[in-house]
Amino acid sequence: MNMALAVDLAVNGLITGLFYALMAIGLSLIFGILRIVNFAHGEFYMVGAYAYTLIALAVGLPVWISLPVAFLVGAAFGWTTERLLMRPLYAGYTSWGLMRDEYAVIVTFGLSLFLINLVDKVIGPYAYRGPTLVDVSRITIGPILISGHRLTAAIIAIVVIAITAALMKWSFWGKQIRAVAQNRLGASLAGIDTARASSIVFMLSGGLAAFAGALLSPVINASPDVGAFPAIKSYIIVVLGGMGSVPGSIIASLALGVIESFGAVYLSYDYRDAFGLGLLMLFLLFRPQGLFGEKGREV
Amino acid sequence: MSSQSASGSGKVAKPSSSKLSTAKTEIEFRVALIVLAIVALIPAIVSNPYWLGVLIVSMYFAILAGAWNLLAGYTGQFSLAPATFAMIGAYSTGLLGTYFGVPPLLGILAAILVAGLIGLVLGRIVLRLKGPYLALTTLSFAEILRLIASNSINITRGDLGLGVPGLFSSRIGWYYLFLGVLAVLLIALYALLRSKAGLFLQAIRDDEVAAARSGVDVVFWKTAAFALSAAASGFAGALYAHFAELVTPELGLIGQTGLIVSMTVIGGIGTLVGPIVGAFLVYVLSEWLRDVGGYQLVVFALLVIIFARFFRDGLWGIARFIMRRGRSA
Repeated sequence: MNMALAVDLAVNGLITGLFYALMAIGLSLIFGILRIVNFAHGEFYMVGAYAYTLIALAVGLPVWISLPVAFLVGAAFGWTTERLLMRPLYAGYTSWGLMRDEYAVIVTFGLSLFLINLVDKVIGPYAYRGPTLVDVSRITIGPILISGHRLTAAIIAIVVIAITAALMKWSFWGKQIRAVAQNRLGASLAGIDTARASSIVFMLSGGLAAFAGALLSPVINASPDVGAFPAIKSYIIVVLGGMGSVPGSIIASLALGVIESFGAVYLSYDYRDAFGLGLLMLFLLFRPQGLFGEKGREV
Repeated sequence: MSSQSASGSGKVAKPSSSKLSTAKTEIEFRVALIVLAIVALIPAIVSNPYWLGVLIVSMYFAILAGAWNLLAGYTGQFSLAPATFAMIGAYSTGLLGTYFGVPPLLGILAAILVAGLIGLVLGRIVLRLKGPYLALTTLSFAEILRLIASNSINITRGDLGLGVPGLFSSRIGWYYLFLGVLAVLLIALYALLRSKAGLFLQAIRDDEVAAARSGVDVVFWKTAAFALSAAASGFAGALYAHFAELVTPELGLIGQTGLIVSMTVIGGIGTLVGPIVGAFLVYVLSEWLRDVGGYQLVVFALLVIIFARFFRDGLWGIARFIMRRGRSA
């Protein structure tokens, strides 16, 4: 194998993995705190891609303002979703009490359909290409060939992921969130506002996914169903890394990025999505706790 | 699960006692028969082939929604692959006809068997999975099969689709064929629910551990529910293939599953009549809304969220509520 090509593939795979991680961390946190899979996660990404692109192009704000605004829009979407739809999962509503998991699947699945089709009707089915962050088209570092935007976006992604991981590990709110994820009743007995913890998780999750959408919008143009692809990737990552584990999902994201970057060159291109999903099924069946997660305990 | 006990504010979710009563099933069955009788009379008024076609497709979806309801509503197994089994059924008869010259009627029979067998295997594989894990696994199963169908261009002609011979050309003929199949499947489901099997399935839905402790063969009945639901979906898919005279991977799109779930939830999940009414309402309305701006999927997705959030028992639940109010007033 050509060494220079291998280095190039590895670095580009790692960068792709960084964007996957932005998606997967939020999904994983939501699973950790509510034990549900958010089937509308890709639509947070889509909302971010549109927010960034439209604010920069239609409103005409500079990209460095559009980017944080996209995060805020995603966070607002996350908060609204949690406030309007997720409360029955834990706030003492009884009508879905027996079918809690099913409620979560239906409602997030419905939200996904709703947002995709609403955007399709309101903004239109055409793809919008987001503006790049920097105007350098190609940078060559040794054997690696990379576009200026991709490099900038990767650096921003590293910073955001590091801040998120640090917040989850050391901040007061991060500790509260982890406590609720471990034991909701115990956390609430210790005086933690579990509803607020869920709200924060959804805001963070929506914001991070929207941020990923904004960063990638110059590469993958914003369109109504643009979220489907990153969402499926993040399901695979979250299962591989162990649902609910932040470090696990970061490692699994980077690994998937590298595997895919090599796989697209050395394996079949047409079936690349099928392989990832096959892996997902195998893991769910034989190692549902993932590579790093704790084995679920039933009482 | 530890999260279960930690979730609410200490209130125990009250199981609705009416769930198991056969009186509830009796009423639903009678109303469903009345609905089908009305559907049978419609061609006397409507002769427009376009609207007859819309109703035929509605009946296709009614079968799929009913089959999914058996699995999700009565057994509590939330599969996200109902449309995939329709696709499997359609491709079974399509491929058999194209490559082995199997006549359509035999092809449809084979489709029922193939879909049922794959459903049996899938049900067996996902036996231990619950909630989000089950949903993700069945979703990936659905996507993998769809990717295979659309990428195996040498065999399936990919997204172009496979031409399939029609059974007959009369719209009315198809109309009553679909209606007949829907009626037979409805009666079969009713018989199943009235038998002990119905109680076993609902016991698994309500509390799997307790059901197993009371002597219900959980493994057998869960697998059986998967296989039966898949077989019925495959049947519908094969019929639809011969009706449309075309098989494409689009039959297995996630959007189709979304439509099936919407119909069941809007009509009333876990009821006999809900999926049928839901299917007609959603599909006929969506054809009508298509003329007024194409907002149909936005409207239905919103309705699904609202129904799931506030009206858990769907339209049928609302209708029962109004009937009870009317009686007591």
